Amino acid sequence: MEQDHMISIQNLRVKFPNEKSFLFKDFSLSINPGEKVLLVGPSGSGKSTLLQILSGLIPNAVEVPVKYDSRSTNDSWGYVFQDPDVQFCMPYVDEEIAFVLENLAIPRNEMNHYIEKYLTQVGLHLDDRHTKIQELSGGMKQRLAIASVLALEPELLYLDEPTAMLDPSGTQQVWDTIKNVSEDKTVIIVEHKIEQVLDFVDRVVMIDQHGQLQADGTPDEVFTAHKQLFQQYGIWYPNVWEDYLNKNLNMQNQVTANNSRRLISFDHFIGYRNKQAKIRIDEKNIHSGEWICVTGENGAGKSTLLLSIMQLISTNEQIHYENSLFENDTTIYDQIGFVFQNPELQFVTNKVYDELAYSLKNQHLSNTEMKERIIETLRAYDLLSVKEKHPFQLSTGQKKRLSVATASITNPKLLLLDEPTFGQDAKNTFRIIEILKQLQASGTAIVMVTHDTYIKKYLSTFEWMVENGEIIEKQLDVSSSHQSVKMS
Amino acid sequence: MQLDFSFQQTWLHKTNPAFKFLLMLILFIGMLFIHNPNFLIIFMVGAWIMYLGYTGHSFFNLLLFASPFLLIFITSSISMILFGEGQTTWFQFGLIHVTEESFYRGLHLGMRSMIFGLLGLLFALTTRPVLLFYSLMQQFKLKPKFAYSFMAAVRILPIMLEEFQSLRHALKVRGVTYQKGVKGFYQKLQQYVIPLLAQSIRRAHRIAVAMEAKKFSGDQQRTYYYKLQIGKYDLYFTLLLISWVSITFYLTNFISIIPIDHVRSTN
Repeated sequence: MEQDHMISIQNLRVKFPNEKSFLFKDFSLSINPGEKVLLVGPSGSGKSTLLQILSGLIPNAVEVPVKYDSRSTNDSWGYVFQDPDVQFCMPYVDEEIAFVLENLAIPRNEMNHYIEKYLTQVGLHLDDRHTKIQELSGGMKQRLAIASVLALEPELLYLDEPTAMLDPSGTQQVWDTIKNVSEDKTVIIVEHKIEQVLDFVDRVVMIDQHGQLQADGTPDEVFTAHKQLFQQYGIWYPNVWEDYLNKNLNMQNQVTANNSRRLISFDHFIGYRNKQAKIRIDEKNIHSGEWICVTGENGAGKSTLLLSIMQLISTNEQIHYENSLFENDTTIYDQIGFVFQNPELQFVTNKVYDELAYSLKNQHLSNTEMKERIIETLRAYDLLSVKEKHPFQLSTGQKKRLSVATASITNPKLLLLDEPTFGQDAKNTFRIIEILKQLQASGTAIVMVTHDTYIKKYLSTFEWMVENGEIIEKQLDVSSSHQSVKMS
Repeated sequence: MQLDFSFQQTWLHKTNPAFKFLLMLILFIGMLFIHNPNFLIIFMVGAWIMYLGYTGHSFFNLLLFASPFLLIFITSSISMILFGEGQTTWFQFGLIHVTEESFYRGLHLGMRSMIFGLLGLLFALTTRPVLLFYSLMQQFKLKPKFAYSFMAAVRILPIMLEEFQSLRHALKVRGVTYQKGVKGFYQKLQQYVIPLLAQSIRRAHRIAVAMEAKKFSGDQQRTYYYKLQIGKYDLYFTLLLISWVSITFYLTNFISIIPIDHVRSTN
């Protein structure tokens, strides 16, 4: 039996230097040829690390002390990483695939044939193969990553959240491609967004924070028999949103503030980037207590919209900030909160506590008031235990919550967020959403860029769909979406 | 962030990048031993002709790229002109002391910087970095480990620029203000360098892992997608440089725009 396994590892032990507890302790896993396995677990449970250990990237390429009793590996593998921008080393499409072929010492005169072959396999039909990778969409980049991995002719594919950074259409493209190319391959997947993967995998393996195997079986078995584990750890599972909303019926999409006031009005507003008009808004308003979801494909101009509202890029200034937005000549940055996609760029101090104090520096608060407010906020965002840490030392979920906290502690009238829930597990996502919901209830208008169809469907009052820099507004029908929650 | 400009391919693009690099290096070093300003004037005319005529970029772009060199010309000449030593005084005011000798030396220095600039651009505008590294590997046995690391680094540059932009926005949103003077500069440095470095180190690490995942190792037997050789265009280019330098030397005997032929001699 033993030699039938594609890969297996017995009694794995991993401990990072400077960490108190083991990431994995006596963990064993075997995977059979042809299996399509989905690895799930709460964030910080070491799913990506496990993938790198199984492939051998740890410890060959990344030095982490690893111990195990026995392991059988397979050298014929390909690895697709999460971030489309940091897995290529060459500037052009053809050169990137050629890089792999060069590594395999394929003769030069055969390279063009292979490049063509792999691009066709992943459905990348470019007019010119010598196209800049930079010019491709996120979905196309990930398909190129798959193509360059296929050039290794692998028996095994490791996929580390390959669609985490993609919009819904890009996600669809990538999973369709993976399904097409991996029929005869063994595939091991780590992924948060599980809807598209479910009909593809035939085994689900769940690990917890302590690196223990919690569940292992077919998707049906695992998702039904261990549902409370998913809820306990805050991991995504099918219908997690419906369960959550049924438990929290107050989470409905509606304008909650009673006397909703106009905060911003646009009148043929244009935002520019490199002197080109990148976003246009004819006539629109933002009112207090609204929750606007900005959707659209990667590169449509969603982030540009937020930047232009914040006056961080040049505009034609046809945006009017109502008096209600500015009390006694405060600056725009005091009244509008902004949460960037990468929280690390927003941190300016060396301590979590100081980050929040920094936000309050223009609020004319007494020391005790300030201290109280910070402690209260830290508690609400579940950051009290790490208040003395450096912001860069936090986990990804904590970083995200801290960046939302720094923007919201001033009680801004308007909060702009660029994909705040992206890459977060279910627990973190719901925590962020609860925080935003509270802010909305106190009258803050929320404008968030998101790919998450559930947030759009269940929480927003309006959807602004950005398409080629134009905004199409859709009012969300509250009653119908509410019904669908109850039905499920 | 767009770093490309459209251009026509010229025969200079078809020369071997590493070989061209070597020739340019020789030219650069040789230029340091020229002390006759008349030589530099005539050579500079040639450099301008090459630069404007054979890089394949539009005239407007070329002038735009060259504009910093005017500044370099002025700054490198002026300090020598104003504060250099010499015997034939033209003008003196406080610390400023312009002499005939220092004036010519300043001009000489300025022209040399400008020639360096023009030649550098001539090289940069007719060479793709990727091909330079491929030819360094093939003609000069550069280790693939270094060559591909450099190519990956070139790829990261535009991403870093974008990130710098985001960081600027983020700091503005957080209401970061800077003190005046040296203190402010130090503060700015701290505010920018740490996050950018943190991101870059992480990114470099990820790219390195991705490269190893694609079965790249520093010292394996490998083939090359681009085959670069030394060919007829390199012969043309070598001949062109030899005749360019020879003609300049020859003309220096007849044309004397500046009435001295050695900026170092004091009499």
